[in-house]
Amino acid sequence: MTTIAASGLSVATPRVVVVPAVRVSAPVRLNYPWKLGSMNRMVVVVKATSEGGISDKVEKSIQEAKETCADDPVSGECVAAWDEVEELSAAASHARDKKKAGVSDPLEEYCSDNPETDECRTYDN
Amino acid sequence: MAVSTIYSTQALNSTHFLTSSSSSKQVFLYRRQPQTNRRFNTLITCSQETIVIGLAADSGCGKSTFMRRLTSVFGGAAKPPKGGNPDSNTLISDTTTVICLDDYHSLDRYGRKEQKVTALDPRANDFDLMYEQVKALKSGVAVEKPIYNHVTGLLDPPELIQPPKILVIEGLHPMFDERVRDLLDFSIYLDISNEVKFAWKIQRDMAERGHSLESIKASIEARKPDFDAFIDPQKQYADAVIEVLPTQLIPDDNEGKVLRVRLIMKEGVKYFSPVYLFDEGSTISWIPCGRKLTCSYPGIKFNYEPDSYFDHEVSVLEMDGQFDRLDELIYVESHLSNLSTKFYGEVTQQMLKHADFPGSNNGTGLFQTIVGLKIRDLYEQLIANKATARAEAAKA
Repeated sequence: MTTIAASGLSVATPRVVVVPAVRVSAPVRLNYPWKLGSMNRMVVVVKATSEGGISDKVEKSIQEAKETCADDPVSGECVAAWDEVEELSAAASHARDKKKAGVSDPLEEYCSDNPETDECRTYDN
Repeated sequence: MAVSTIYSTQALNSTHFLTSSSSSKQVFLYRRQPQTNRRFNTLITCSQETIVIGLAADSGCGKSTFMRRLTSVFGGAAKPPKGGNPDSNTLISDTTTVICLDDYHSLDRYGRKEQKVTALDPRANDFDLMYEQVKALKSGVAVEKPIYNHVTGLLDPPELIQPPKILVIEGLHPMFDERVRDLLDFSIYLDISNEVKFAWKIQRDMAERGHSLESIKASIEARKPDFDAFIDPQKQYADAVIEVLPTQLIPDDNEGKVLRVRLIMKEGVKYFSPVYLFDEGSTISWIPCGRKLTCSYPGIKFNYEPDSYFDHEVSVLEMDGQFDRLDELIYVESHLSNLSTKFYGEVTQQMLKHADFPGSNNGTGLFQTIVGLKIRDLYEQLIANKATARAEAAKA
């Protein structure tokens, strides 16, 4: 027990309280008191689904399709290129809907499914 | 519904423990008694009937409005599998599992670019794997199903799918392969006309930067040959076709907001009794708006008639127009027959539950809800049938 006290951590520290209402996009540190050594801290980075990524892909694929089809509008390449545009547009629209539904915070999503885990326990008193 | 028969009246207490045999349908219970070496074996046989529904739709997978309405009829919200790949296309609820057929692509996005084929082309899909896995799930065996990641365009490591009570396979080719078609207990084809497709895609894609009217149009037209060759012919095999057309109530309408929706139901399908208006097999045209009900422009118009569709006898129920108010919906519901509802007003209740879903005020939402109730009815009839067959076999 003395070694634990010496490292500056207290076993008596209450469990971690993470309030889901706090939306953080910067790294969030969760302290696990039973983990010895300050180098072993877990760093949880909460990042929303990168919607910008898909939009960029859509834009790029449209460019590519236009270029491919400029040479030969009925070739297999042209058709495949536009099919790719369609697939990416559908994925982008799903991502947008998902974001609008408001479940973009992975921690919140996890906590709604598993409220009894340590990260998700809340103390109201 | 799992039917289990227990062949022993041994009381279960903590000295029992379970082992499952290699066929996961049988469970053996052993009670160890240290004094004597006698073993009491209890054999429990559980069998679960899985029904398979096929849905052919062009709009992507699993997250579509139709799926959400369908799973809602059975109860419970369908969610992606917990703890798995976040880009999984599968949806799981208590009773239903929805599988996206894109997961059976044999070529990923880069492979298709190389081979110059679209996703609509059968060459890009592994029908053998699709058949084997659907067959396995239908007979109660869990499978490791590949995942097609729509974000990266690659095939991800597989995920474990447990056999559910109701399995829905949604995608571009549920009825393309004959073997898969024979496994389906019920099949639906969502047929969107070109004008409506164009209007919907404009609404969906104009918010996306990079897209313009020309690019959307070019995209639809480039896919059209493959679509007409491979996807469209599936509608002849479907038990129910939902056709979405532009409205006839507003002349020269090109906004695609008011829709004319036709529910084409095949006659003679086991456990499926088509919805009808007034009397089965008759032809009737009905405008509910009048003295009892006041509707705003453009109103509502219903049509019901028997017809022939690809050499099959069908009944067609058609709705043109929009619902504005709750009482319009309940009035219409009270005049439709054979809806397979469990109580008066169930269709209206289901529509209200998801009033924010697209199509909740027109025939698309109405017919999707009705098809959902029909599938529930089909499931219950099938279960009841299998149970009586088993009871008779046990008696004999």
